[in-house]
Amino acid sequence: MRVCRCHHKGTHAMTPAIETVNLTRRYGRMVALDHLNLTVARGSIYGFIGPNGAGKTTTLRLLAGLIEPTSGEVRLMGQRLIPGGGQRLVGYMPDFFGVYDDLRVWEYLDFFARCYGLEAARRRRTVDELLNLVDLADRRNAYVQSLSRGMQQRLCLAHALVHDPPVLLLDEPASGLDPRARVELRELLRTLRDMGKTVLVSSHILSELAEVCNEIGIIDSGKMIVSGPVEMVRRQLAGSTRLRIRVLRGLETARALLQQLEATPEEELPRLRGVRADPSDEAVVLVEVEESGEERQAALLTRLVQAGVVISEFRAQAENLEELFLRLTTAE
Amino acid sequence: MRGIRLQRPQINPIIVREVRTRMRGARPYVVLTVFLALLALTGVGIFQLMAQQARFGGVLLSAQVGQGLFKGLAFVELLLVVFLAPAMTSGAISGEREGLTYDMLLATPLRPEQVLWGKLVAALSYLFVLIFAAVPVFSVVFVFGGVEPLALLKALALLVMTTIFFGTLGLFCSALLQRTTRATVVVYALVLLLLGAPLLLAMVWGQFSSPPGQAPPPSLVYLQPFSALMAITTITPSAGQEMNFFGYGDPVSGLPFLMLLWPGVIHYGPAGPIVVPVYRATLIFYGLLTVLLGWATAHLMLPGRRWRPRRSDLGFVLLLLVIGLAAYAWRDWWYVAPPRMG
Repeated sequence: MRVCRCHHKGTHAMTPAIETVNLTRRYGRMVALDHLNLTVARGSIYGFIGPNGAGKTTTLRLLAGLIEPTSGEVRLMGQRLIPGGGQRLVGYMPDFFGVYDDLRVWEYLDFFARCYGLEAARRRRTVDELLNLVDLADRRNAYVQSLSRGMQQRLCLAHALVHDPPVLLLDEPASGLDPRARVELRELLRTLRDMGKTVLVSSHILSELAEVCNEIGIIDSGKMIVSGPVEMVRRQLAGSTRLRIRVLRGLETARALLQQLEATPEEELPRLRGVRADPSDEAVVLVEVEESGEERQAALLTRLVQAGVVISEFRAQAENLEELFLRLTTAE
Repeated sequence: MRGIRLQRPQINPIIVREVRTRMRGARPYVVLTVFLALLALTGVGIFQLMAQQARFGGVLLSAQVGQGLFKGLAFVELLLVVFLAPAMTSGAISGEREGLTYDMLLATPLRPEQVLWGKLVAALSYLFVLIFAAVPVFSVVFVFGGVEPLALLKALALLVMTTIFFGTLGLFCSALLQRTTRATVVVYALVLLLLGAPLLLAMVWGQFSSPPGQAPPPSLVYLQPFSALMAITTITPSAGQEMNFFGYGDPVSGLPFLMLLWPGVIHYGPAGPIVVPVYRATLIFYGLLTVLLGWATAHLMLPGRRWRPRRSDLGFVLLLLVIGLAAYAWRDWWYVAPPRMG
């Protein structure tokens, strides 16, 4: 047993599933992870997002106890993790995983179940349950190398569940999957959440995760930029709003007016930051405005209508997470 | 704590997995067939050679045929084992790294020693299948006689110990170098060094010894498995010294390569030639080296802070101590120095 139970005896039901305190990991001079403080509540699906090389895999390997932190510590379900080998509170699915050739699907799960010391009856039951869970029951006797990428991914996910861990760490589970397999993966993640698991799933592509996660954290260059419930992160980051205005007639007038307003802001109107055309639709003008209430946006619409512009569409477009992510992780 | 109650694994999971996959596909059967065919051909070849010599007027005893067969078969089998054992294990740990299953393995509660043990047993079990499948081929020797069953057992012990040692050497390289190709190249270089260096040194020993012309000491060839086998398979005639030390058609007198294995093993003293039982020291030193290499490999397999003391180190130290003490207590049994020549 690799988890120290000497501290935190009164483990509270609401202690977070995963908690890292100033977790730092260096490789030589390179700082892969810089004082990371990560908290994941129990039962949530946490999206851990960052560009390649941001420190996601390092974090997951630290959480799985595969490497030791340079400083800082990891707490899983309130217990301090002592790294240096396998431990039973997490199931870990690496970003690049291997399958053993010449091994059948059920034998693959049976092998890992044996590694965790499940006794024979329990092992058989677990293998059956997991094959059903990841929808591979009909491929039970197939050789692992004959499975498609998506099936192997699901099998690998199942392997991380053989010891029924409360916490699951999935490193880039969606990479290399076709759209259908991605949908299936999302379904699987929801099922796992319903089973009461806490899932930490990393990705460098935000859209893969946005729908299924209830919490996200964005990491770049080893530092956590923002972390929390999806809506909170969105609000916290949304410094500006984009207005999408579709002009039926009077496009020139509208542009001129908006550019004039950008140069000379007015009190009752929102402060404009940029006016540009939508490359995909000539009749649309996109206006970046500083965070402003609906009152001011309505005033802007009124001003445009008064100027004789005929508008068929006027709406505030929340900056999507993908763009937020790009803005956060590339602007340095 | 959530999760189910867990207990220690009973059978090593690595062994279960390897045993399940080891005999899948045609390859293991092809290797076994080729292995046995080579041995059988060797036997037929030696028999033909001797029969031919008898046709040309040599005096050939049935016992000499038996001894010649025994020697020839044992050498070929040892040769196969020496080159197969490292091949079986040099990819065992690096293969997990290259196959990207290493992390998954480390994330389980399996300890490095268990992985190591499983890998070794799995690789060796197949080699033991080869060795024991060859026992019936060896039994042909008894049709002709001339070899006591004890010699066969000694040869078998040497074969098994050599397999274990060379297998562990392969595992060590696999864990150290982390890439199968590199590990394979290095382990074969080591094997060749281990086989060739003592023989080369023994060849030139006389030129550099003082006084010149001294026979090389037996300790020079302690780690040379073929010299050890030579010590086992050279059957000292019990009936007087007038009998030929090597019979007609004996592969040793026919093949110049095998003559290279004489120095250090066969000493010509004032009372005639004697065979130094170097194989005893070989068994002991292979045992010691196997434990040492296994110990180092277990540490090399750890993901971080590899050389921090572990509880399992105690076991390795204990094992080393037991072998060391036994070797010390029975030093007269294995440390046989031949009489110096004037």
